[in-house]
Amino acid sequence: MSNKVLMIDGDRISGNEVRAQNVLAVTAIANIVKTSFGPIGLDKMLIDNIGSIVVTNDGATILQKIDIEHPAAKILVQLSELQDQEVGDGTTTVVILAAELLKRANELVARKVHPTVIISGFRLACTEAIKYINETLAVKVETLPKDFIINIAKTSMSSKTINDDSDFFSKIVIEAISRVKTIDYKGDVKYPINAINILKAHGKSAKESILVEGYALNCTVASEGMPKRIQGAKIAFLDFNLAKTKMKLGQKVVVTNVNDLEAIRDRENDIVKERISLIIKSGANVVLTTKGIDDLCLKYFVEAGCMAVRRCKKEDLKRIAKACGGTVLITLANLEGEESFDTTALGVADEVVQERLADDELIIVKNSNKKLASIILRGANELMLDEMERSIHDSLCIVKRTLESGTVVPGGGAVESALSIYLDNIAATMGSRKQLAISEFAESLLVVPKQLAVNAALDASDLVSKLKAYHHAAQTDPSKKSYAYSGLDLFNNKVRNNLEAGVLEPAIAKIKCIKFATESAITILRIDDKITLNPREQQGGDHEGHGH
Amino acid sequence: MSAPATSAPAKMAPSRSDFDEKEKEKDVRTSNIVAARAVADAIRTSLGPKGMDKMIISPNNEVLISNDGATILQNLELRHPAAKMLAELAKAQDIEAGDGTTSVCVIAGSLLGAVSQLMGKGIHPSIISEAFNLALNKSLEVLVSMSVPVSLTDRVSLVKSATTSLNSKVVSQYTNLASIAVDAVLSVINPATAINVNLKDIKLIKKLGGTIEDTELVQGLVFDQTASHTAGGPTRIQNAKIGLIQFCLSAPKTYMDNNIVVSDYSKMDKVIKEEPKLILEMCRKIQKSGCNVLLVQKSILRDAVNDLSLHYLAKLKILVIKDIERDDIEFICNTIGCQPVANIDSFTADKLGKADLVEEVGTSDGKIVKITGIPNPGKTVTVLCRGSNKLVLDEAERSLHDALCVIRSLVKKKFLIAGGGAPEIEVSQQVTAYSKTLTGITSYCVRAYAEALEIIPYTLAENAGLHPISIVTELRNKHAQGEINSGINVRKGAITNILQENVVQPLLVSTSALTLATETVVMLLKIDDIATAR
Repeated sequence: MSNKVLMIDGDRISGNEVRAQNVLAVTAIANIVKTSFGPIGLDKMLIDNIGSIVVTNDGATILQKIDIEHPAAKILVQLSELQDQEVGDGTTTVVILAAELLKRANELVARKVHPTVIISGFRLACTEAIKYINETLAVKVETLPKDFIINIAKTSMSSKTINDDSDFFSKIVIEAISRVKTIDYKGDVKYPINAINILKAHGKSAKESILVEGYALNCTVASEGMPKRIQGAKIAFLDFNLAKTKMKLGQKVVVTNVNDLEAIRDRENDIVKERISLIIKSGANVVLTTKGIDDLCLKYFVEAGCMAVRRCKKEDLKRIAKACGGTVLITLANLEGEESFDTTALGVADEVVQERLADDELIIVKNSNKKLASIILRGANELMLDEMERSIHDSLCIVKRTLESGTVVPGGGAVESALSIYLDNIAATMGSRKQLAISEFAESLLVVPKQLAVNAALDASDLVSKLKAYHHAAQTDPSKKSYAYSGLDLFNNKVRNNLEAGVLEPAIAKIKCIKFATESAITILRIDDKITLNPREQQGGDHEGHGH
Repeated sequence: MSAPATSAPAKMAPSRSDFDEKEKEKDVRTSNIVAARAVADAIRTSLGPKGMDKMIISPNNEVLISNDGATILQNLELRHPAAKMLAELAKAQDIEAGDGTTSVCVIAGSLLGAVSQLMGKGIHPSIISEAFNLALNKSLEVLVSMSVPVSLTDRVSLVKSATTSLNSKVVSQYTNLASIAVDAVLSVINPATAINVNLKDIKLIKKLGGTIEDTELVQGLVFDQTASHTAGGPTRIQNAKIGLIQFCLSAPKTYMDNNIVVSDYSKMDKVIKEEPKLILEMCRKIQKSGCNVLLVQKSILRDAVNDLSLHYLAKLKILVIKDIERDDIEFICNTIGCQPVANIDSFTADKLGKADLVEEVGTSDGKIVKITGIPNPGKTVTVLCRGSNKLVLDEAERSLHDALCVIRSLVKKKFLIAGGGAPEIEVSQQVTAYSKTLTGITSYCVRAYAEALEIIPYTLAENAGLHPISIVTELRNKHAQGEINSGINVRKGAITNILQENVVQPLLVSTSALTLATETVVMLLKIDDIATAR
């Protein structure tokens, strides 16, 4: 089939060849991230072509940084990105699982099972697996002891560099997230993670990271003459320049008299002075702007005892304004065509203070009862700080998902092994060729506990068989139901009840992981023809007139 | 599928000289047939519910995964003129029926195979083309006689045929798309009188995130862009009165270069205050008309809105959606019953559209604005497509388009026919019988035509991993015994009454596929020389 006179400018490969090639590419990708999987996984150091370095353990980050060309491998990179967006954690798991599914599917194809049969088998297995998680494995959070949420945060940190201090960091994460809890107009509880600002400051040890009950801005006051601490702050949020008025393009000032020159200069200053006095009169004692404030204007603020901060990030301002009940103003114009400053646009905070931290100065808007939180991370070097930030972000996402969805599952390979046994049993009831596909799907799921064990330098075959035995007992013997929560204890080389041990993940993360991995595997499996068109040549006179 | 005797040595990337220099020496027809058949063979594997996908990597490294014949051929950048004709053929089928684009190419390829055998026996092309036309007419008769009339009020049958069309796509596991397609078409036409559907009245909006199950039909409008947040305006408005403007809410500019000369400082204030005044006046006028949602057409000459006007509009509690495309204006007007306003002076209350709710909704890939609860639904609808990644989303959109086209075909020609290869095998048998009433070479050619049609059930079986020869022969047997609706049930891997399995397709898809394929083949046959004009 592949060797036809298909007159196109490019290469074409089809049939088993393309499938094998795709599987190879995908396996290569999975091999890269495989060793960083699990609590005892190791990190990768990535150096790009301009020499900047990233050290990370996060699957999505690794895959994003490396330049991947193969289209099938790209699908896998997108997959990990998707998992990152939708869940925020489990990005490595999803890639490993998809690659394993494809590898096994390819073996089935080699044994003359038609891909479409495998696809329908996989689909069935995926649906059954999700049903089983929802109905049997998922545990409602209400039934768990109160500290479960800390355990969730700890589990997600366990594979990261901050694992050693996970007690410490999980407390910070939980506290931060409980501060930003909001209820929208429909009555749904939301945890906007964006409202938590994560700042990195070089120096000191990781343990000295702090949670600030307020919002920290990476800026300083505009002038040394301003107060550094204002209590009972009334904040004006501006999104325009406070500088001498300039005429717009196409407007010229022509001076015919020397005296006029002075008058015009004064007027230029006066226009902005009037604006500032409007702001000050409204009672504002803190002014935050996204744009600049020129020296002349600073003077007025200093005289009034106001704190002014310029060049804040717009995103930050919006967050603070929302939490403090203020509005970001883009102009002072009012509906009468005049200029005024509406006092309702002012935000209120307990205290705005400039603090010194490491080499930097930070502005902190403190507000004990408002929905703001900032985490200031400390660390010995930049690379570590970056990785800490990613880990905290993952943790925040996971905690948010758990609180919003309300169900958890035990980690440590427990779900995968349980599903594997369950699907194997289903496969046995099937009379058609789908049986093969389903049992391969079941087998593929075991890659998760296996890889966990391998990365921990344990005997994978031994441990996984033990784990399987527990789950088999749980599903056949009603008296041993609690065995369904058995997972690996990688530090002590044994099987334990991970629900009690507090190794937990949100159920939604597992479900999405299996769903996405299956979908991507199917997308790649369906391809039986790859056509690569050559890049278009430069349009030369020689090629004109052809192909009509 | 034996290769023609005189075929050129196979090359992966032939140079252009393959078909312009040596053309005189070779038989032009053979070259054309070989090229066209190669194309047909290339997309054969994507036919049917168990067909596979193709991955195409374009010159600028974009990846496309598709199962849709027309899409694949369009992106292949074919060079051979005959191959291009086949790509055109798929496109023609796409325009006419919207579905069956793969089938039409496969049939054409098989007919060309038959032609090359007939020509090998020394039959003159003009006789072959005459005979093929005869066979085509007979085939169409058979198809029409097999069909079952359907009423547009019979929603179940419509959903069935949409499902059949979606079965071959990657999105086949999602059952909701078929009913969305049916509901979308039915809500923009009057089932009693409609003879055609304007698919422009159904707008597909793609948004990443969620899964295909989240795809929904919106009786109203969906905008890909967000409401303007710059000045913190409202994002949710009930009992909306919607205005659509085509002018700019910013300081006016003259066409010629202009200078304003200020010679007195007291006039400076006046110059500075002039702009807010002007804009405020416009905003006031808009508010006076009762408008609380403003759609602003995109402008490339000037800023359609500026910070100042957004600020005023936000203060007046008017929700602003900017950057509306010019092409969408008509659709929006049809939907919400507003009129576009080109000048502020003509912005009056009677030009506003109404809706119960205008709301900004968050998705994982940014926000969208939904306008729902419009007073007279039934003119237009919007389908919001969701998908977990870009490739799936694009394919979902194409599949949905196919499904919409299938329903449109049913509106055009209100007859259904069985799927699963049943019509082709029946036509094949009837035409064979017909050939026996003819004499001479014509009879021979008609018979070859009939046999060529068996390619569809053959390929269906092959793609489903079944044994093609045993399936096709069994099918022939069943049809010979008068079970005209027997077809291949790829799910069970057996032959069953395909009508009972709910595998149905519009008659128009089958007739148009046969007509277009035959006409293309006849045309290719009549070419006996290629001259390159420089």
